[in-house]
Amino acid sequence: MSYFFQLVISGIVVGSIYALSALGFVLIYKSSRVLNIAHGQLIAIGAFMVYALTVWLKVPILIAFLASMVLTFFMAMSVERVFLRRLIGEPIISVIMVTIGLMSILDGIIYLTPFGSVNYSFPAVLPVTPISFGGVSISWTQLVGVIITVILIGGFSWFFKRSTLGISMRAVSDDQLAAMSIGISVPRVFGLAWAMAGLSAAAAGAIIGNITGLNFDTLRAFGILVFPVVILGGLDSVFGAVVAGIIMGLIQQFAGGYLDGQWGLSGTANVLPYIILLIILLFKPHGLFGTHEIERV
Amino acid sequence: MSANRWLATGNFFTSYREEQRIFFTHLDRLVFVAVLVLLFAWPLFFELSNKYMLVVNHTLIAVVAVMGLNIVTGYAGLISIGHAAFVGVGAYTVAGLATTLGDSHKLITHAWPLMIVLSGGMGALFGAFVGLPALRLKHLYLAIATLSFQMIFEWVIHFMGFFNQGQTIYIGRVHWLTGEVGRSSHYVFWYYASLVVVVITGFGIRNLMRTRFGRCLIAVRDNDRAADAMGMHPGLTKVYAFALAGFMAGLAGALHAYLYRGVGIESFTLHHSITYLAMAIVGGLGTLHGAFWGPAAIEFLDIQVEHLSAWAAQIFPAQGNLATALRPFSFGLVIVLFLMFEPRGIANWWRIARSYVKLWPFRY
Repeated sequence: MSYFFQLVISGIVVGSIYALSALGFVLIYKSSRVLNIAHGQLIAIGAFMVYALTVWLKVPILIAFLASMVLTFFMAMSVERVFLRRLIGEPIISVIMVTIGLMSILDGIIYLTPFGSVNYSFPAVLPVTPISFGGVSISWTQLVGVIITVILIGGFSWFFKRSTLGISMRAVSDDQLAAMSIGISVPRVFGLAWAMAGLSAAAAGAIIGNITGLNFDTLRAFGILVFPVVILGGLDSVFGAVVAGIIMGLIQQFAGGYLDGQWGLSGTANVLPYIILLIILLFKPHGLFGTHEIERV
Repeated sequence: MSANRWLATGNFFTSYREEQRIFFTHLDRLVFVAVLVLLFAWPLFFELSNKYMLVVNHTLIAVVAVMGLNIVTGYAGLISIGHAAFVGVGAYTVAGLATTLGDSHKLITHAWPLMIVLSGGMGALFGAFVGLPALRLKHLYLAIATLSFQMIFEWVIHFMGFFNQGQTIYIGRVHWLTGEVGRSSHYVFWYYASLVVVVITGFGIRNLMRTRFGRCLIAVRDNDRAADAMGMHPGLTKVYAFALAGFMAGLAGALHAYLYRGVGIESFTLHHSITYLAMAIVGGLGTLHGAFWGPAAIEFLDIQVEHLSAWAAQIFPAQGNLATALRPFSFGLVIVLFLMFEPRGIANWWRIARSYVKLWPFRY
């Protein structure tokens, strides 16, 4: 039984990271209807930035964490400004393909840095011995990661519910024309959505990097793993992203814990999300909490 | 129409029959035959080193694959981020038979044209399956469906012993009328085999676009509701576009397997899917000759990147393999730049050149 609870705990840990990664993705989709395929690269860049600041420049980790969030905030904003701003009004298919190209470009840039080929791991800041109660254990890094995630998601929810900027972002995602007519600058909101996505990606990257170590392939995989999460949660629902992230984390842990080793299977945790994704697309394409505006053609 | 089409100021078709012809004038026909003769004859006079012959063959195979991608992304307007996986389905059809029957079984070495068609069929089957969400959903979700197919495909190959965990599965040397195709003639032989496939499929697509089924694809891309109102079935059309793309990809996969005499997962990863997409975009989506320009341009770029990184490695010897970094960077840059400044691809340059000639000495 403690094995089961252990899986639940690590499922929630992984799931909350998925939720945080998916959050940025949903933000961009919600405001501008763009699928950001380069999201994993943003996550990886955020993680590497924190590492570079803490280890190479000897900045305290908390300040490095915040600084990398600020840096990716501006980086994502400029990405939107340079690549995507001039594509407003183009068919959505070419915008999505631009993000595919962007993914490739960022891949290339990361391969130029040492992070592309060498695996680093963060110096241990928190106590190494895990907290355990009744056979179930959770490491300090994971616990702090989950707490930071919860704080960030809470902050984002507050931002969308209460702040003027957040409300204008919601207005744009609801109806661009109407938003424009009441004086909201739609391009600026798009830029802000990208910037917020970059910020949350950096946070997610830093947390993942602390838990799993800095491996480019692992970090990049999160960008693709958000697809099953956001499809399950509904593409344009922030709440759905959080719930689906945790569900997906649990599914992955259970798959890894119970299915692997049976019938010669291995690595099921990596493929199950995509199979679920295909099934959802066939039977419930708007996900758990998405808006039912999909037209059937 | 007897006048020189290069100087005509527009199309003067007087019947649908005229508009649907493959070749408009005898000159077109002559040029086409001349190019074909050139393509078939040059290996008799020049001898390219195996390295460059491999590049040429690789380009031809990519042309087949990109023609498939062009059907789904160019003509039908659906993004496919899993095209390399479909190519992989074709290659692993050959490889799977090679592991069950032995890599030099008669079926593989003698009946290789049959194997190529069979791989195409497998590709079509998988393509139709992945395209199934198209019955209900639009392009955005289909992009995700193809991406997840790419991931599932990579996992299946990596974790199944039957597929040698993604390590190379060898495939025997093929036989032809003159006996076994040996080491010296391997590349030339597969040059001709790929060229024949390219010509057949090219004609196939050109003809397809003249028929109801091809025009259906374009109608659904341009406005699916209007297409629905005209009595087409947009969902089924999309599924069938995916099946067709899968078929072409399967052909390319089988050719790939035979050319390299082995199949490994490293040729069918997400990175390759993006490369195919780059080829299709650079060549020009929705045009037939774009499917030739794109792979040629990207393969050329690839060679240049390799040269550049070899040259840079001499200057900065400390760096690792620069090509692994420069390749995705340059491909991504090419995709983005083309989408921003020339969304119609290289195929459009041809049109621009023609209108320049037509209007010279005036600018418009």
